[in-house]
Amino acid sequence: MRRPGTDRLLLLAVVSFLAAFAVLPAGAWLVGAAATESVRADGAVLGAAGPAFANSLLQGGLSAALAVAIGYPAGVFLGRYRWPGRGAVRSALLLPFLLPTLVMVLGLLDLLGPSGVLGGPFPALRWLTVGVPGIVAVNLLYNIPIVVVLTAVGCEAASPALEETVASLGGGPARAYRESWAAPSLAGAACGGLLTFVLSALSFAPPILLCGDRCATVEVAVYRLALLDAEPAAAGILAIALIAAFAVPAIAYVLLGRRLRGRGPRGRAARPIPWRSPVTWGLAAVFVAVLAGELALVGAVLFRSVVPPGATRWGGPWRVLLGPTTASHLGLSALAAVGNTLLFAALAAAVGIVLATAAAFAVVRAPTRGTPVALLLFVPVLLSPVVLAEALTTFWGPLVGGTANVWILIVLSQALLGIPFALQSLEIPLAGLGPAGREAAASLGASPWGAFVDAELPRARSGWQTALLFVFALGLGEFTATYFLLTPLSRFTTLPVAVYDLTADRLPGAAGAASALLLLLSLAVFAAVVASGGAEE
Amino acid sequence: MPLLEVDGLVAGWGRREVLHGISFVLAEGELLTVLGPNGSGKTTLLRAIAGFEPRRAGSVRLDGRTIDDAPPHRRSIGLLFQEPALFPRRTVLENVAYAPLLQRRPEPEIRALVDRLAQLLALSPLLARYPDELSGGERQRVALARSLAARPRLILLDEPFASVDIEIRAGLRAEFRAALRAFGTAAVHVTHDREEALFLGDRLALLFDGRLAAVGAPSEVFGAPGSEQAAAFLGYNLMASPRGTVAVLPEALVPEAPAPGRPHYRVLASARVGASSLSVLEGPAGERIELRGPEPLAVGTEVGLRWEHEVRVPAGAPLNHGAGARGG
Repeated sequence: MRRPGTDRLLLLAVVSFLAAFAVLPAGAWLVGAAATESVRADGAVLGAAGPAFANSLLQGGLSAALAVAIGYPAGVFLGRYRWPGRGAVRSALLLPFLLPTLVMVLGLLDLLGPSGVLGGPFPALRWLTVGVPGIVAVNLLYNIPIVVVLTAVGCEAASPALEETVASLGGGPARAYRESWAAPSLAGAACGGLLTFVLSALSFAPPILLCGDRCATVEVAVYRLALLDAEPAAAGILAIALIAAFAVPAIAYVLLGRRLRGRGPRGRAARPIPWRSPVTWGLAAVFVAVLAGELALVGAVLFRSVVPPGATRWGGPWRVLLGPTTASHLGLSALAAVGNTLLFAALAAAVGIVLATAAAFAVVRAPTRGTPVALLLFVPVLLSPVVLAEALTTFWGPLVGGTANVWILIVLSQALLGIPFALQSLEIPLAGLGPAGREAAASLGASPWGAFVDAELPRARSGWQTALLFVFALGLGEFTATYFLLTPLSRFTTLPVAVYDLTADRLPGAAGAASALLLLLSLAVFAAVVASGGAEE
Repeated sequence: MPLLEVDGLVAGWGRREVLHGISFVLAEGELLTVLGPNGSGKTTLLRAIAGFEPRRAGSVRLDGRTIDDAPPHRRSIGLLFQEPALFPRRTVLENVAYAPLLQRRPEPEIRALVDRLAQLLALSPLLARYPDELSGGERQRVALARSLAARPRLILLDEPFASVDIEIRAGLRAEFRAALRAFGTAAVHVTHDREEALFLGDRLALLFDGRLAAVGAPSEVFGAPGSEQAAAFLGYNLMASPRGTVAVLPEALVPEAPAPGRPHYRVLASARVGASSLSVLEGPAGERIELRGPEPLAVGTEVGLRWEHEVRVPAGAPLNHGAGARGG
C-alpha cells in the first residue's frame, strides 16, 4: 500500500532536525577530531581518558546496581498494588528526574552535610556527602525513582490471567512470580538500570562539586579538554570513545524500553495490598523509605533556603538572591535568570513537542520504523550534554551569530535532550492507532493532511500535556549543556547555571535560595503534570 | 451435602459494589451456567469464588468448609478465562502436566492422566507443540485439560468460548461438557450467550445488576422468565395484552392483515436467514419486535400481529401493544 504523504513529511521533519542539530554537528566535530594527526600522537592528552573511564564505570555501575537493588522492590509495590493516591505518588517520584543535578547536590549537603539538617546532629552520616559515596548518593536520588517507575511499568505489562491461572492450578505466590511477572518486572528494572547507568556514568556536576578532579567522569574530561585546555580535537577523540563505550547500554535501554511499552499495560494489573504477607510489608517499607528520602531532600532544600546554618534571622538567603550582590556576581538579576530559564524552557518545549508528535505518529503508523526512530531520538542523550553542546557550538555557533545569539543553541540542546522522553509520553495515547479514522475522514472528502489533523491529531492530545510539561521541566533544570554554551556573566544565564556560579563564588545562601526557587518551579510543573493526569511513564 | 455453597456474597472493585448478596448451591459434578448481560457481575462472581476478588460480605463454602480466608492457590478451584493464558514457553504436554508436577504426583500417574486428557480432548497430536502453534479452539482445549489435570473440586469457566471461531464453537462446547462429565468435575460457567447457556448447563441462573434473578433447570427458567428483564434477555418480545404484559417468542408471532382499532406494526427489515425468515418490526410506541416466520415480509408495509403462545411475566410498564393470544 502506498504510504500517505503526511507520514513521509512527519518522518522527514524528525530526521532532518536530528540530522541537522545532532548527528551532523557531532559527526563533523568527531570526524575532524579523528583526522587530526597531532592529537592521535599526543598520548599525554589522552592519558586522562583511562582514569575518567574508570571513574565513569565505577560511579555508573555502583549507582545503577544500588538503584536496581533498592528500586526493584519499591517498583513492585507501586506497580502491583492499588492504594489511594497511587497516581499522584507515581508522578511525584519523577520530580528528582526533572531537577538539575546541582540542586540534588545542594540538597544532599543541606540534608547530610556538616551543616545539614541531619548531618549536623549526626556526623556519622557525613561520609555520604563526599567522594564517590557522595556522588553515588546524588545519583541514587535520580536513579531510584527511574527504576521504581520502570519496574512498575514492567509489573503492569505482566498478564494477570496467567498469574491467576498459576494460582488456580495450585501454584503459590513464588511460583506465580516465576511464571508470570518476574520476566516483565525484571525487564523494567533492567531498563531502568541501563538508563541510570548511562546517566550516572556521564554525570557532570556531582563529581566536580563533591569530589573534584580525581573523580572526574568522561564527560567532565571532555569538558575540560574542550573548554579549559582548549584542545577540541582531543576532546573529540575522547567523545568518540565515550560514544563507543556507552552506545551498547544506551541501545539496550531503547530496545528494552520499546519492548516493555509494547507489551502492556494488560489491565487489572494492580490489586489490593495483601497485608497478611510479610513480603508485602518489606516491599512497602522500601517504597516508603524511597519516598521519605525524596521528601527529606526536597524539605532540606526548602528549609535551608529559609533558615541557613547559624542564621540569626530567617529569609536572609532570599534577600541576598534578589539583591544587588547576586546581580553583580551573575551579570544579571536573579529574576532575569528566572525569565531566561522560563523562556528557554518554553521554547524548547514548543520545538520538542512538535518533533515528538511527528516522531510519535511516524512510529505508530509503521511499528517496524519505531526502533530506528527511537534510537535516532536517543542520540543526543547518548552524545551527552557536553558533547552535544560542543558540537552545536563548533558547527552552528558561527552561523547563528556566536555568543550574541547563543540562546538559540541553548533552546535546541534542551529540546534535543527532552524529545526522547516526550516521545514515550506520546506513544501511550497513540498506541493502537489504526487507519480507520483517517480512512473515514478521507472517504468523506478530507485531504490527507485534513484527515490527519481532524481524525488523528486529537488522539495525541492527552499525551501532549504530559510531554509538553516534561520537555519544559527538563529544560527548566538543564544545566550541563547550558553551562557549556554560556560565557561568564552572560545575559542568557539560566537559574541552574546561576546556582552553580553562586556556589563557585562562595555565596551558598544565595545558591541555596536559587535552588529552592528552581525546586518550587519544578514543583509547579509537577503539580501541572499531576493535574493533567499524566506522567504514567 | 452440596459441593459449593455461596451465601449472601457481596463483592466489588474500587468503590463500586458489583455483587449484591448472591446465594446458590452447586452439587457434586453439576454444571451451573450463569447467564447475564455485559457488566452484570458474572466475572466478578467467579473471581470472588476463586479468591481473586475480596469478599465484602457473605461466605463461600466448599465441601462444607468455609474457604473465605484461603488464598486462591489453596482453594482447589480451577479457573478458565476467555483467553486461555497458556504458558507460552511450555509445550502442550508441559502445560497439561504443570499442576500434577506441582502436586508431586508419581510420574506414571501423571503420564496416565495426561494420556487420558489428551484422548478425551483430542490433544494427542498436539502434545509437542507450543501455544503459538495452536488454533484458538486447540488452546482452549489445552487450557481445560490443564485445569482438569489439577483435579480441582470445582472449575470456573469465564466465557471460555467467546473468542473461539463460531464454526467450531458448538463442537467445543460438547467436548467441554463431555470432559467435565468424564472427570465428574463440577463447574460454574458464565456467559452472555443464550444458546450456550441453555445447551451447557444442568441448571441455569440469570444474573442482572449483580443479583440472581432466577435459578433452575434451563427449560424451567426459559419457560417461565420471572421478570420483563429476564424475558427480554432470553429473547422474548414483551407485548401488552388485556392480561397484562406477556412475553412472546419471535417464532410464536404470526403476521396478519392490520385491523381497525388494533395496533399496526411497520416492517423495517426482513430477510431470509437459513430455513426461516427474520423480520424486524416497529410498533406504535416505536418499540422493536422480532418475528421469525416461513417467508420474509414486504419492507415498509404495515401488519397486525397475533400469537399462538405467550408467557405471563410480572406486571410492569407495557412495552408493546399486541392484541393478545390468538388476536385477543
